[in-house]
Amino acid sequence: MKKILYILLSGFITLVSCEDVIDVDVPTAATRLVIEASLDWEKGTAGNEQSIELRLSTPYFDTTSNSDVTGASVVVENLDSGETFMFDDMNDGSYTTSSFVPVIGNTYELTVVYQGETYTATEVMTPVAEISNITQSVEGGFDDELLEVNVYFTDPADEENYYLFRYQADYETYASLYDLSDEFVNGNEIHDFYEKQDDEDNGERPFQAGDVVAVDLYGISEAYYNYIRILIEQSSSQGDPFSSLAAQVKGNCINETQPANYAFGYFRVTEVDKRSYTVE
Amino acid sequence: MKYFLLICLLFMASLIHAQETYSISGTIKDQSNGETLMGATVYLEGTNFGTTTNEYGFFSLQAPAGNYTLTISYIGYNAVKQEVSLTKNLNFNLELEESSTALDEVIIKAEQSESISLRDPQMSVSKLNAKTIKQIPVVMGEADVVKSIQLLPGVTNNGEGSAGFHVRGGAADQNLVLLDEAIIYNTSHLFGFISVFNADAIKDIRLYKGDIPAKYGGRISSVLDVRQKDGNSKEFDLNGGIGLISSRLSAESPLFNQRGSFLVAGRASYAHLFMPLIEDVQDDKISFYDLNLKTNYELNQNNRLYLSGYFGRDGFTLSDLIENNYGNISGNLRWNHVFNDKLFSNLSLIYSKYDYRIILDFIELDWLADIQNYNLKYDFGYYVNNRLKLDFGVSGISYKLNPGEVSPTSETSSINYLKLDDKRAFEGAFYVGAEHELSEKLNLNYGFRYSYFSRLGGQPISQYVNDAPVVYNSQIGIYERGEVASETYYKKGESIKSFGNLEPRIGLSYQMNDQTALKASYTKSTQYLHLLSNTSSVTPLDVWTPSGPYVEPQISHQYALGYYKKLMDNAFSLELETYYKQIDNRIDYIDGSDLIGNNNIETEILNGEARAYGLEVLFRKNKGNLTGWLSYTLSKSEQRTLGGNAGGPGINNGDWYNTPYDRTHDISVTGMYKLNDKWTFSSNFIFQTGRPVTYPNGQYEYEGLSIASYSNRNQDRLPAYHRLDLSATLTPRKNAGRKWKSEWVFGIYNVYNRRNAASISFSQNRQTGMNEATRISIFGAIPSVSYNFKF
Repeated sequence: MKKILYILLSGFITLVSCEDVIDVDVPTAATRLVIEASLDWEKGTAGNEQSIELRLSTPYFDTTSNSDVTGASVVVENLDSGETFMFDDMNDGSYTTSSFVPVIGNTYELTVVYQGETYTATEVMTPVAEISNITQSVEGGFDDELLEVNVYFTDPADEENYYLFRYQADYETYASLYDLSDEFVNGNEIHDFYEKQDDEDNGERPFQAGDVVAVDLYGISEAYYNYIRILIEQSSSQGDPFSSLAAQVKGNCINETQPANYAFGYFRVTEVDKRSYTVE
Repeated sequence: MKYFLLICLLFMASLIHAQETYSISGTIKDQSNGETLMGATVYLEGTNFGTTTNEYGFFSLQAPAGNYTLTISYIGYNAVKQEVSLTKNLNFNLELEESSTALDEVIIKAEQSESISLRDPQMSVSKLNAKTIKQIPVVMGEADVVKSIQLLPGVTNNGEGSAGFHVRGGAADQNLVLLDEAIIYNTSHLFGFISVFNADAIKDIRLYKGDIPAKYGGRISSVLDVRQKDGNSKEFDLNGGIGLISSRLSAESPLFNQRGSFLVAGRASYAHLFMPLIEDVQDDKISFYDLNLKTNYELNQNNRLYLSGYFGRDGFTLSDLIENNYGNISGNLRWNHVFNDKLFSNLSLIYSKYDYRIILDFIELDWLADIQNYNLKYDFGYYVNNRLKLDFGVSGISYKLNPGEVSPTSETSSINYLKLDDKRAFEGAFYVGAEHELSEKLNLNYGFRYSYFSRLGGQPISQYVNDAPVVYNSQIGIYERGEVASETYYKKGESIKSFGNLEPRIGLSYQMNDQTALKASYTKSTQYLHLLSNTSSVTPLDVWTPSGPYVEPQISHQYALGYYKKLMDNAFSLELETYYKQIDNRIDYIDGSDLIGNNNIETEILNGEARAYGLEVLFRKNKGNLTGWLSYTLSKSEQRTLGGNAGGPGINNGDWYNTPYDRTHDISVTGMYKLNDKWTFSSNFIFQTGRPVTYPNGQYEYEGLSIASYSNRNQDRLPAYHRLDLSATLTPRKNAGRKWKSEWVFGIYNVYNRRNAASISFSQNRQTGMNEATRISIFGAIPSVSYNFKF
């Protein structure tokens, strides 16, 4: 719903305002560890190949720092089976394994030890419904003259479900993320769409024949939904008059040694349906 | 209780003074149109016997038998003097004639007679009339009540183009906004660019920033009391104006052989008619209208009926994606009854409603929400003797809130029908307020209001594990929704939870000499209805919520002290006020709170407190061709929210932090210069400390994107806000004998085209990958022209 409010009001604002990029002095907080531990089990694969990224946070406008974290130890344990998976340091900030065993509904625990401090997080692996269809259309979407890619799937009726969509066209540097709860759409066939506008300032152009669009649908936990929802909102609109109060977004990685020094990022364990669609 | 005894004692003391006296009572009106005049001064020359007219132009005063000169004066009108021989009770209905220089003589109505103004214990009140408001330069030439009061000390906005206003560091929902006694829930058109009050339909505006009289209740920060005109009871009158954004037309006329009159005023925008011509916005539409109605009928000298109504609506369509409309409706039927020369009464039946609707075509969703109330009110004014006047009355308000109803707009829509629980409540109150002259120099206002609020059933209420709708997750360090333990259904009419509060109000004035006075006041007030908004601006979609099992009423204690001085025969005046305000139970929002479409709003909020203090200076030049004022406010407004029942440190680690409406410095200078009969010029300059905001303090990569991290709330500030506006009014020479009068108003808003930041947003440029700070500025320099006529 917030997304809707934002679209509505920013739509109005753009009718009457003007925007420019300015220099602003912003505060700089102490560096934190960033744990991007996304164990995603792609449908149709064994899910044994997994990677976890460790980085450091940097000043807001900083573009030069190398923030890769090396020398940490990264272990994931399946608390239901007792199985442990060691992740190997690739010396570029990533830690990988090829022996991971994903089990829907099992609880996993992540342990990261970095510079003498131990970070832990637990998460249950969440399943996801299968994408039933991907189509393209012109009528529909935000603009009735531009192409959009439509994604359909059916939400299971008897449970609360939370989803994360990740879209990225082959010509795009950055992915687009959308969060969805089934609160208003429980048990229905859900339709989402991805449409690109003609926006030169942002390097955006409408879809055209031949574009290949990656469509990922993740089944996520409620806790991760609450996390990624704020993250998405803040990364797209923070500071607008109608955006929510800026929040300190804390993930699920707890610093056991020094609690105040918590890590950014999240330990998520999901099932994902990954598709790709070629625009005709 | 002690307080109550004190009141009784004071009251008894005043009755002892009673002696052989007679009363003079009546109604004061404008000679040209029969409008009753509110706040006109009536006094017996050479004595201390005096009073001012009430909201309906009625006055009553008592004096010992004798011969007097009765003087009636009202700013902008020629004073009337009349010899009276007081040997029995007298009734006077007098009409005052507008003085020819009235147009720009005084800007904020200074109280009429110096002696009375300094003696009146009422402080922290600002009055504006429609004429003044129309002279202040505003964006696009639209005369605007809410923008005008923001030029007064202690009143700010929340950035350009935002809807609400903030009084003495309070939130927008803490203002009680009344249009002919009806509550107006949303004061803005066009998402905040224009206020809902049509200056052509308005007679009088009062803003109480503190020392709120006992007859008002339900909001803790201020009362904006807007009164509509009654309508010309002498002759037919047509007023109109053509502006850049909207046009206005109003008609007034006597009815029933001058025993009644009516006013119909309409205003509508027409930008949407031109939008199809502009390629970028040809599928968009933005529009508003409003309609003010008022009629009254005098049954006889002691009985008069009034009926007033307001209908306003905004529409906004963004190509075929979004359709949005919202508006206020209100109506009020009133019966003025004069029991006798000492007892005046008014009975009102009032209805108000605010609703909004959004249709999102691209996801086939239709969203509706509203709040409405009925209010029955009976107010009395009892002029006990020349030293004591009592106001007392009762009020009952019944509320019904529909926080949201979601329906699919087509059969193929993936949206399910959802209706959030309707919320119901009753708010009752009775009050007594006394205006009491203790001595020639010392005057008192004292009284109390007892308010009662009951959240009523007709809905289920959730109970939470450990009675905590919000719980602190100490491992991660965030606040989360509590776990629902059970649900109780309350039947309609059953009380879910009730509250009662005794709200004492007291003010005193000490007149040191003919030019100088000191005043002090204390007000306790309670607010049972809260506007939930976790965005930095008030939006039309914000949700009102009543107090209940998990939402405590907000309680404010305000202390104020003032010093007032007239200089050089009232050519200049100086007003200094300081205040301190403590607010309990101020709602705060947990990080990432989600308020929209939420049935259990208590899981998103924490109970905090707020405090505000400041110094206000108002220096005015009241006479001559150049008039105007300088207002300066130095203030602080902070809030603090501890974890309480939810555990944990609270918001911002439980430290005090700036509210979004904290402005350290707020300066405005308003001047009007009358060059000659043809030309009048006016100008504003405004400077304000930037709004508190939260800037990012770092970034990190996640999902390939740069994610900003944020520090504690409201620790940074936008750049300072300032601008200069100019306007010129040309009144063409009148043709003698013609009734047609007209004027042109030319204006430039933000003359030096400062790009004031309405906001600064932070995001990653998706082409370069660099983080950027983007300033959104709403208005650059904007010229305007409007044409007003009167027939």
